[in-house]
This record gives sequence, C-alpha cells and structure tokens, in this order.
Amino acid sequence: MATQSSTDPNKDKVIHEYDGIQECDNALPNWWLGILYGTIAFGAIYWLSAESFKTTPSPRAEYHAEMEKIAAEEAAKMKAIGSVSDESLLAMAKDTKALDDGKGVFASTCAPCHAANGGGSIGPNLTDANWLHGGAPMKIYGTIKDGFTAKGMPAWGPALGEERVRAVAAYVVSLKNTNVAGGKAPQGDPEQ
Amino acid sequence: MTAQAAAYRGRTEVRRITYDDQISRWFVFASVGWGIVAMLLGVTAALQLAFFKANFLQYFAFGRLRPLHTNAAIFAFVGNMMFAGVYYSTQRLVKARISSTLGKIHFWAWQAIIVAAAVSLPLGFTQGKEYAELEWPIDIAIAVVWVVFAINFFWTLWRRAEKQLYVAIWFYIATILTVAVLHIVNSLAIPVAAAKSYSIYGGAQDALVQWWYGHNAVAFFLTTPILGIMYYFVPKAAERPVYSYRLSIIHFWALVFMYIWAGPHHLLNTALPDWVQTLGMIFSVSLIAPSWGGMLNGLFTLRGAWDKVRKDPVLKFFVAGITFYGMSTFEGPMLSIKSVSALAHYTDWIIGHVHAGALGWNGLMAAGMFYWMIPRLFGTELYSKRAAEWHFWIGTIGILVYVVSMWVSGIQQGLMWRAFDGKGALAYPNFVETLNAIKPMYWARFAGGTMYLVGMCLMAWNLVKTALSGKAVDGEAEVVVEIEETEEKVPARKLIFGQPVVVSFIVLVVLGAIAFTSAIGAGAFMILAFCIVFIAVFLSWGRGQADKPGWHALLEGRALLFTAFTLIAVLIGGAAEIIPVLVLPNSGAGGNAEGANAAVHPYRPLELEGRDVYLKEGCYNCHSQMIRPFRHESVRYGDVSTLADSKFDHPFQWGSKRTGPDLARLGGKYPNLWHYQHMLDPRTVSPGSNMPNYPHLASKSVDFSLTETKVRAMRTVGVPYTPQQVQSAATDAKAQAQSIAEDLAASGIKVPADSELVALISYLQRLGKNVPPPVPPAKGTTVSLNAPVQN
Repeated sequence: MATQSSTDPNKDKVIHEYDGIQECDNALPNWWLGILYGTIAFGAIYWLSAESFKTTPSPRAEYHAEMEKIAAEEAAKMKAIGSVSDESLLAMAKDTKALDDGKGVFASTCAPCHAANGGGSIGPNLTDANWLHGGAPMKIYGTIKDGFTAKGMPAWGPALGEERVRAVAAYVVSLKNTNVAGGKAPQGDPEQ
Repeated sequence: MTAQAAAYRGRTEVRRITYDDQISRWFVFASVGWGIVAMLLGVTAALQLAFFKANFLQYFAFGRLRPLHTNAAIFAFVGNMMFAGVYYSTQRLVKARISSTLGKIHFWAWQAIIVAAAVSLPLGFTQGKEYAELEWPIDIAIAVVWVVFAINFFWTLWRRAEKQLYVAIWFYIATILTVAVLHIVNSLAIPVAAAKSYSIYGGAQDALVQWWYGHNAVAFFLTTPILGIMYYFVPKAAERPVYSYRLSIIHFWALVFMYIWAGPHHLLNTALPDWVQTLGMIFSVSLIAPSWGGMLNGLFTLRGAWDKVRKDPVLKFFVAGITFYGMSTFEGPMLSIKSVSALAHYTDWIIGHVHAGALGWNGLMAAGMFYWMIPRLFGTELYSKRAAEWHFWIGTIGILVYVVSMWVSGIQQGLMWRAFDGKGALAYPNFVETLNAIKPMYWARFAGGTMYLVGMCLMAWNLVKTALSGKAVDGEAEVVVEIEETEEKVPARKLIFGQPVVVSFIVLVVLGAIAFTSAIGAGAFMILAFCIVFIAVFLSWGRGQADKPGWHALLEGRALLFTAFTLIAVLIGGAAEIIPVLVLPNSGAGGNAEGANAAVHPYRPLELEGRDVYLKEGCYNCHSQMIRPFRHESVRYGDVSTLADSKFDHPFQWGSKRTGPDLARLGGKYPNLWHYQHMLDPRTVSPGSNMPNYPHLASKSVDFSLTETKVRAMRTVGVPYTPQQVQSAATDAKAQAQSIAEDLAASGIKVPADSELVALISYLQRLGKNVPPPVPPAKGTTVSLNAPVQN
C-alpha cells in the first residue's frame, strides 16, 4: 500500500477484465487511508473514554448535572425577584407592563381551553365570579403553576417558568368579574 | 479474458448463450411506474404537512400515506430497479443465464406484494414499525419471494462460466443474504387476526431490533446493491477501467462488517443502554471511509473520461448520484455523533438526509442505469437526449431545493425546541409555534419534490418512446465452459484458515474480551488488537507481489465460501449488540439502567385497543414517545423516559420524527374533553396545527370480540397479564370505555362508548402513567354499552 508515484509501473495497469469491464489496481489514496485509520482510532479512544474510563459523561449524567445547576440558579433567582403573595400579584394586576406579558402568555398557552377572552370553552370561564380551585390571587397562581391534572388543568410551572406564571396569574386576576359576553356558564363556587 | 482465461486448463468448449433480458425490461418499467407512484405519494405527503386540508380521506391521511410512500420508494421503486440491474449484470459478469421461470415468479410475486401493500397500508393494516409496516401475511410472502430471488441468483452463480467473481457480485451476495436476515428477524410477530399481529420484541429490545433492521435496510437495500450496479454500469458507460481492485476489497469488507453495527445511531440519547449507543456512534463515524471507498472507485473510474460527462446524460446521472452518495455518507456519520443527534434527531434534518440519499443516490443512479439499459435492451438509440438532460437538471435542482429546505427547517426547529429565554423558561413553550415557523420550508420542499417528480415523468415518457422505437433484443455471448474440472483447486481448508481469517478472528476475540474486563483491561486489549493487526500487515508486506494469486483472489473463485464469509461478517455486529440486550433486558447491560427494575403495570385492555388505533392511524409517523435527557425536553414534555416506560410496548413506539410534540407523558395532561375536541379538529384547541382531523374515529366501533385474543397474545410475548385479566379483557375494556363516555357526556358530548375515539383517549390518558389495573370484576358481570348516557 505504498504511495504510488507518477512513475509507478503499476499505475493504471489493467489486471482483470469481466464482461469487457477492465479493472486496475491503483494504490489507495493516503488521505482516504487517513480517514479510515483516523475514524477507527477515534472510535477506540471514544469507547475508552465514554464506556471504560467514564471520563466522557453519559447523556443522562450530563442531564442530571445540568438540572442541578439550573435548580441552584432558580433558587438564587427566586431570592432575587422576591416571594410571591396576594399583594404582589394584585400589584402586578395593575401594572400594564406585567399585564401585557401575562396577556401574551395567556393567548398562546391558555386561550385554547379558556378562550381568547377568558370566557371558557374546555376549561371554565375565568371572567365570572365562580372558581373551581379558588379565586384568591395565590390560589390562581398555584393552579397555574402546579395544575389540577386530575381535572384536566396542566401544571404550567415547568414550561412557563416562575416569571411568566406570575404574569399570567396577574392577568387572570385582572379578568376576574369582567363577565365577558358569551362566556361559559359559571362552574365552582363564588369567591368568598 | 486475459490472465483468467489462461487459468482454465481443464477441458473446455465454447458455447453460445442468450441472456434473459426480458426480466430486466419488465423490472425497469415496473420501477419507473412505481417510482412515479412513490414520488406522487411523497409530494402529496409534503403538501399535507404544509396544508392540512390535503388530508382528504381517512385512508390517505398523513399517518397512513407516509408509510405507503416510504414502502413504495424503497421496495417498489428501488427494489424493482435493483432486480433489473442485478439480473442484467449478473448474467453477463458470470456468463450464465438465469432461470427465466424463477425470474417470472419473482417479478409477478413482487408486484403482487406491492399491490398488497398499496391496499393494506391505506386500510390501516400495519405492524407499526418504520419501513417494516407490512402485516405478517405479506411479510411471509416477501420472505418467500426473496428466497426465490436468492435461489435464482445463487443457482446462476453455481453454473457460472466465469470462475472469478467481480466486485459487483460481492455486493449482490451481501445484499441478498443480509436483507433476508434483517427481514426475518425484525418481522417476527404473534398473529392475532388475519391482518393483525404484535411484534415479539418490546420496548428497548424492539427499538434495537427495529433500527438494526431500519438502518441496514438503508445499507443493504438502498446502498450495497446500488454499489454493485455502479461497479457494472459506470465503467460500461464511461468505457474506462475501474480505478482500484484493492480499494474494492477493503471497502467491501469494511462496509459489510461495519454497517451492521451502526443501527443504534437512530436511538442516541434515548433509554437504550449507553454502551449500545456508543457502539452505534463509533461504527457510524468509522463508516465514512468504507463508504467513500465506493465513491472514489466510482468517480476515479471516470478519470480520462470527464469530457464525456459533458455530452452524455447517463454519465451526468452517475456522477451526480455518486456525489450525492458521498455527501450523504459524510452527513450520516456526522449526524451519528451524540451531540449532533441531540439537535438533529426528530427534526426535518433527518428527512433531508434520507432524501439526499434516496433522490440523489438511488434516484439518479436508477435514471442513469435506465437511460443506459433501455436503448440496449431494445436495440436502438435513446429517443431524446435533450429530454434526459432536462430530466437531469430539473431533478438535481429539485433535490437541492428539497434538501436545503429541510436543513433549514430541521436546524431552525431543533434550535427553537431547545431555546430558553432570559427568564429560564422555554422561549417557545408552545410546540405549534415551532411548527409554524418552518411552514415556508414545507412549501419549498413541496416545490422541490414536485420538480423531481416532473423529471421522473419526463424519463418515463422518454423510455417508453425509446422502447417503442426499437424492438426487444436479448444479449448473447460466447462463453468458454469447463466441462471437466481438471484445474487443481486450492483446498477450502487453506482458504478457511487463511491469514486474513485467522487474524480477523483473533482480533475480534481480543476486542470482544473488552466486554468482560475493567477499564484498564479494555485499553490493554485494544492495544493488543492493534499490535496483532500491525504485525499481520507487516508480515504480509510484499507477499502479494508473488506470481501466484493471493488469498482474496482465490476466495473470489469460491462462491460458496465467499457467501459464508460475508454472512459471518454481517452477523457479528447484530449479534454483539442485540443478544446482550435480549438476554439481559433489565440490567441495562453495563449501561444506563435507570428505571429498568421499576414495577411496570401493563395496559388495561381498552388502552391496548386504543394503542392499536394509534398504530393503525400511524401516529408514530409524527409523534415520538421518548423524552431524551435534555432540560428542554423534560421541561416541555415531562420526566426523561426510562427503559421501564415502554417495557410492555409491542411494538415500541419511540418514533423518529416530531412533526407534533412528544407524547410519552401525555396522560392526564389534558381532560378527556380536550382530547375529544383535538381529535375531531386539532385546530380548535391548538390553532395552527397541521394534524389531520379524525372524526371517523367517533363513528367506528372497536371490535371487542378480539380484545381477549389480543391480551392473550400480549401475555404470550411476555407481558404479565394474569389469566383472569385475559378472560375479563372485553368486560374490563367495555367498563373503562363506559366511564370515559360518561365523563364526556357530563360535558355535553355524546360519543359511543365502543368507538375507537374513546379507546384512543383511554390510551393517550395512560401514556406516562404507570397505574395498576383495577381488580377484575367477578365472573358473569357485564357492562351494558347501551345504558343511557346521562347528561
């Protein structure tokens, strides 16, 4: 498999013929051999690293490490943005910037079940005075974040993140008692 | 016949033989006809993704049409093309005529299978495994026809007048053997009705077997036979010698040995044990050179003939086809790297990749071969060179439009799925946002596919015109036939224990020992294997220069032995990966065993029925059930999937593409009412969705008389149902259906409790929920399905 120079007597020499098809036996290009040996060497090293010595973490190990890091960051962030309370949500419900954020999330995430105006379809009407899981701001916040999956309300906390959950909770608080036209019949109990 | 002819020192006589070319004429036109059908289906499927209203009939909704498209493209278009090329070239390369009777049986039975597929897939008869959807009676027919093909091929080899086997024949041998093994092993199933069966494998085991099959269907149905065809038709068309015999040897053996290991690259970052994933990745990466060996031998054969490429459309198709092969076989290994797969898997990037191969490599090679063959098979000239040139340019530009739009779409959607905003939440929490972002690319793909189809139609017209302008002629040749074997043969023992075999065996044993040692031992065994190879190469250096034929040249004269070695080479990889996973299902076999030993409850009978509806509608074509260990996936879909989650899934439904979201943990996420509305019209709850409507599920009834048989079949394949659960299957299914119907009725929705829709909802609500089944009711209790539903 030596490199063939242009003076190689075997270059382009026909050694076989089948049904008129001639066959030469030219040398293998070195760059091709380089790829062949290189990728096999890569395979051997990668195997040793990933499976034998475990110096390359598995996808699952990487995942667990990332989730731990994120959990720590989340905890730090929660500290920074302060805790959530009925008061903070009511304050956000009066803040146009927060309401705009909440309205955007509502349109993409909540509207399919609660209708674009909050009047309800699959899910209950959010613009009346009745609530299935409580109408206090923190109750609404909890329902959005953790869901009532047995009743069909998904837990949106993981997908939306803390800030969006608060914004959309504040937006829902702002819908309360607006009684939009054509809304679904009341479900649940009137808010105490 | 220079050096070889001299070797035949036995008593010989010259005979005149006529080749059976009728078979090739038939297969060419069958391939062209089915190719147009396959591509028309593909264009329709592309339209459906861009424009959901194109899902006009339940029989041709995307979930049923897509398997029809893939099966037609692979088995009808490429299958018929391969048979045409194999029969034409094999007869000429080995100087023997095939059996025309077996050829006719092969041809008509294969067309009958295609028709059976074209009828059964739209009707929803499916095994739910990609590219292996056809139900068990058709599977048996495929196996039988394949055996007919094999007998015809090997019997022709047996009677060959040319003793040495040319490289094209090696590739045909590998194709015939491996496709048979793959098809039979992957299709093993327990029948429950005339057109319904369950895979004997479940969960991760089924995933591994399926992608061992699926990947190697690409390797041994779409690649190796076409390489063989390349080795015959490219030098014929270019009238230039093949570049390198030794490159043929090395890339052939490397390709058939390594390809088999690569299947798990379809399952990277899933719940499949890590070690199998790693094997799949490293062998895939190592496949670049063996694949490119074929490309080099094809392209370098054109050295000194490049001026002909400008004038000859046949060579244009071959050059472009081989170039697409080189591109796809570089892209494939790159996509098989775990971190690249993390982005690309489940996206359109993969769709682009396979179409670069299917349209670029298979389609263009087929066209080149047809344009070369048909004038010769009809003793005339190609009717219109200009039309062939047009076909080339329309087709090639069509492929580029297709592939580039899928790259853009796949990478864009992959990046959108994983994007987090500054607030630590998903930037695009709504899946449908990521779908709507790539809609323009879906229209571009539709345009590219349409261009390719137009080119195909142009070719069909051109080939028919050519055929009509001539008349069928069969090739003839004078061959030297040995009537008495007086040549001294090297004993088989010398070949079986030849140096390459002994060295390969020792190296494989040494490398296999890695599985049983520590990390240090693994490193030591690898170094030892390297040293053995090095010493062997050193010892044989220069020995091949001697006058007598080398080991491989001798092997080429022994068809049976060659076939046996090929079979061993292809069996090793599959066996090394599949057997440990089948034998040690719960250990994770040295890899990730997360959740492997959790207590798993089987589906309730109605959920099983609902699962069959899911299979029948082909939901797996757009929805995965495998949440990978990435933050964006667990945040979007729920906890990362484990081996246990799908343990009792016969067949597994991990999926390979997310046109819609993952469903592994869908259960309980939405109320029954949401599912009801979503199935009737997905856009009512998910505006912008491109999912078809499924109103027919509400009116179609589940046949509960089969439920018990189905549950019993599941028990046979190892799902731990108790005999009581088997007996009360139908009763329990009806009771569960009733409770869902009542829940829907409470929201004012009237839907028959025995409808497929209710069964499907029960299944969807169960996904990701490992709930124990209720205690079976006492014998004799029945639940009336006709009880009035209360509103």
